Amino acid sequence: MKRYFHKELNDLKNKLILLGEKSNEIARLAMDGLLENDIEKVNKAAGMDDYLDDLEQEISYACIRYISLRAPVSSDLRLIFVALKASRDFERIGDEAHSITRKSSKILINDGKLSEQFNLQEMSNLACQLIKDAISCFVEEDLEKAFAVLKKDREIDTINQKHFELISDISMQEKISDPTRFNTLLISKSIERMGDHAKNIAREVIFLLSKE
Amino acid sequence: MEGKVIHRFSKRFSKKAFFENLILNILRISTYLVILFAGFIFLDIGINGSKAIFKSQAPFINTDFLTQKPETLHVFEPKHIDKKLKEINAKILSTNIENKNLSNLAIEDSKKNDLLIKSLQAKYHVLDKQRKEERLLFSDTEFRALEIKPSKSEYVYETYAYSGGGIGPAIIGTCLLVLGSIAIALSLGVLCAIYLSEYSRPGKVLQIIRLSILNLSGVPSIVFGLFGFGMFVLFFGWGVSMIAGWFTLAIMALPVIISASEESMRSIPKGFREGSLALGASKWTAIRTNVLPYALPGILTSSIMGIARVAGETAPIMFTAAFALRDQLPWEGLEKASDFIFQGVMALPYHIYVVSSKIPQNEYTENMQYGSAFVFLFIVGFFAISSIVLRIRVRKKYKW
Amino acid sequence: MSLDIQVKPAEAGSKVLPPEVIKIRNLDFSYGESQALFDISMDVYEKEVTAFIGPSGCGKSTFLRCFNRMNDLIDIAKIKSGTIKISDVDIYDEEIDVIELRKHVGMVFQKSNPFPKSIYDNIAYGMRIQGIKKSSELDSTVESCLKSAALWGEVKDRLNESALGLSGGQQQRLCIARALAVKPKILLMDEPCSALDPIATAKVEELIHELKKNYTIVVVTHNMQQAARVSDRTAFFYLGRLIEYGPTEQIFMNPENSQTEAYVSGRFG
Repeated sequence: MKRYFHKELNDLKNKLILLGEKSNEIARLAMDGLLENDIEKVNKAAGMDDYLDDLEQEISYACIRYISLRAPVSSDLRLIFVALKASRDFERIGDEAHSITRKSSKILINDGKLSEQFNLQEMSNLACQLIKDAISCFVEEDLEKAFAVLKKDREIDTINQKHFELISDISMQEKISDPTRFNTLLISKSIERMGDHAKNIAREVIFLLSKE
Repeated sequence: MEGKVIHRFSKRFSKKAFFENLILNILRISTYLVILFAGFIFLDIGINGSKAIFKSQAPFINTDFLTQKPETLHVFEPKHIDKKLKEINAKILSTNIENKNLSNLAIEDSKKNDLLIKSLQAKYHVLDKQRKEERLLFSDTEFRALEIKPSKSEYVYETYAYSGGGIGPAIIGTCLLVLGSIAIALSLGVLCAIYLSEYSRPGKVLQIIRLSILNLSGVPSIVFGLFGFGMFVLFFGWGVSMIAGWFTLAIMALPVIISASEESMRSIPKGFREGSLALGASKWTAIRTNVLPYALPGILTSSIMGIARVAGETAPIMFTAAFALRDQLPWEGLEKASDFIFQGVMALPYHIYVVSSKIPQNEYTENMQYGSAFVFLFIVGFFAISSIVLRIRVRKKYKW
Repeated sequence: MSLDIQVKPAEAGSKVLPPEVIKIRNLDFSYGESQALFDISMDVYEKEVTAFIGPSGCGKSTFLRCFNRMNDLIDIAKIKSGTIKISDVDIYDEEIDVIELRKHVGMVFQKSNPFPKSIYDNIAYGMRIQGIKKSSELDSTVESCLKSAALWGEVKDRLNESALGLSGGQQQRLCIARALAVKPKILLMDEPCSALDPIATAKVEELIHELKKNYTIVVVTHNMQQAARVSDRTAFFYLGRLIEYGPTEQIFMNPENSQTEAYVSGRFG
């Protein structure tokens, strides 16, 4: 039997998906802004962070409300916890994106370009794809996709690892200021963190679906 | 105890178990005794009564007995048999006396006498049967209608009051008395019970009222009879009449009816009342639609049972309603309609009382007594059973 | 993915208060010498579900029964001071016709109490005692009431069977339908689910949620979760006093009073 308050769960789910979409969007905007040298996109991304925070707040309120008023159990309860944790992860993605925007704007103001050797484009594509996959495995309740996300995250980790190794070489070969170099590295690190959050979300989806 | 293993739970003799058994058997025996007594009484009335009511020919029921009025019985017994019977009787008596006078030593003689008595008794029975076949019985009306009366040289002629005819008026009178008192007692009792259980405020006063109503049922019936006599017969000037009997019986049955009705109304779930009150019913509407119908089976059963028991009482109608003998049926010879309730009637309990204690006893009156008792038992049983049937019927309709 | 889902912060929906239907001011109520309710003031709002919670004997049922003057049935029960106004009319005024009041304020009891009549007669009862005899009118009301009590589908083929043949939950919904038949504006429910199994309880709760659209509902419940699920507002009673009254979310998520907190979190006593 479907109860009237199950609608609230659906609302919650939708909000979570919305939050995911938004976090994906902000990540994409921040990276695109940097890579395309578009300060406006960067600023737009920076402005979205508050909205994300609000949304996350709202989701956690809804979760607590649902727990205290509806006494959910089993899959409902798991969903609530997943929503709580995933929303936090999404919000963190937003935060990472926000810090990317700050660094991006510094880079754009200082040097206006990045080192060629950093493979940020691929990394950001991968990260965005990861986030997207994490969302869709939640929406579609697709366990395999969730496991795939776990695997893909390693690729990002590898690229990030490479960037660390690259950093000393870059300073020799290219005419790029030190702050930009470090900022780029930090951005790389942020993207890697985004990937980690996506991975966490995938893990939570696995928990939701496989009860483990 | 060979072959049996004695273990922790095996049976052992113990005082406790013995007493347990003893008590069980005492209880059992007393119950069987009660059943035995009751069965004996009913069997006795049934066997003797059916002699008066049933007969061996076609309709098998002695309709005359049930419908006719009580009359004097005229009996003609064949003289020659009567004479012989008397002789035999005398001989048996004398032999008996002789037997008593014999000393203990004369065993031979005593045995001889015993045999003699036995043969005489056998002879007596044969003759008695013959007497019963040859005798002529006439009720009053039949006797008057006879053109040639049996000659006195051949027959011994005797009359017995109340022993002829039937108990028709008494049956009708009893039924009327019971029906009337049911109507009065039920309406008064139920109204009173409704007030007591639904409207009155619980408190000391109500408790006292309840207690006094209950105590009323402990008052001896003769007191009710006297009360009815003083109140209805004399004070109201109704005379010995059906209506005085109705009220006396009704008042006697009231305590039972009130407490039974109250009980059955109180057993109706509170929810029914609250439910209908919450739907905007007035108090009376709630009672009428949701209490009375469901209490009705209980009220009816216990009330009719109560009345049936009261109807068996002789004392309350003795002074108020019953005539020992009344020629006319209640609807005969009325001048105006109101006379119907102001006439006395015959009633079975009183009739039984009269025929068994007011006139000399003999084999003919015995017939009448047992017949009346049987019919009376049947009537009371009929009321009881009809109340049960009614209860089942109503119960089916209003079941919860 | 659609991004156009309207999101409102949770607090944003609050709150223009709906009009008050029942206004209770400084109510003191006693059974003989013992006082059962102390100085209660609260408002019940239109087309909302208001839940009364509290431990047994805290007076919540007594309080509920004040609203349709069911307490009149108990001789020693008496309102000592204070007023109860329904639609701005003091219902304890001498001019009040209790019967009309009870038609306006329907009641459903703890123990489902269908009359031992047919399903049809049960629902028609309230109208019949008002003197409505036209069968077409009765038929249509019976049908609509059963429909709004979500019972029509289950019983439409056996309207003439005894109501006692229904299951407990169906009986309780029948009682709700019966109460609806006299067209009340307010429905009082005194622990409507206490004798029901979880599924039947869920059905009744669904029904309450559905009825909220058209009726003002006050429900007394022992089951805190039920209050949390069905009600918009919750009042917590303890020892005859109203301890806290507010939106259900507040009572269950962030009660102001420590007693309320202890009670809703099960740390009572």
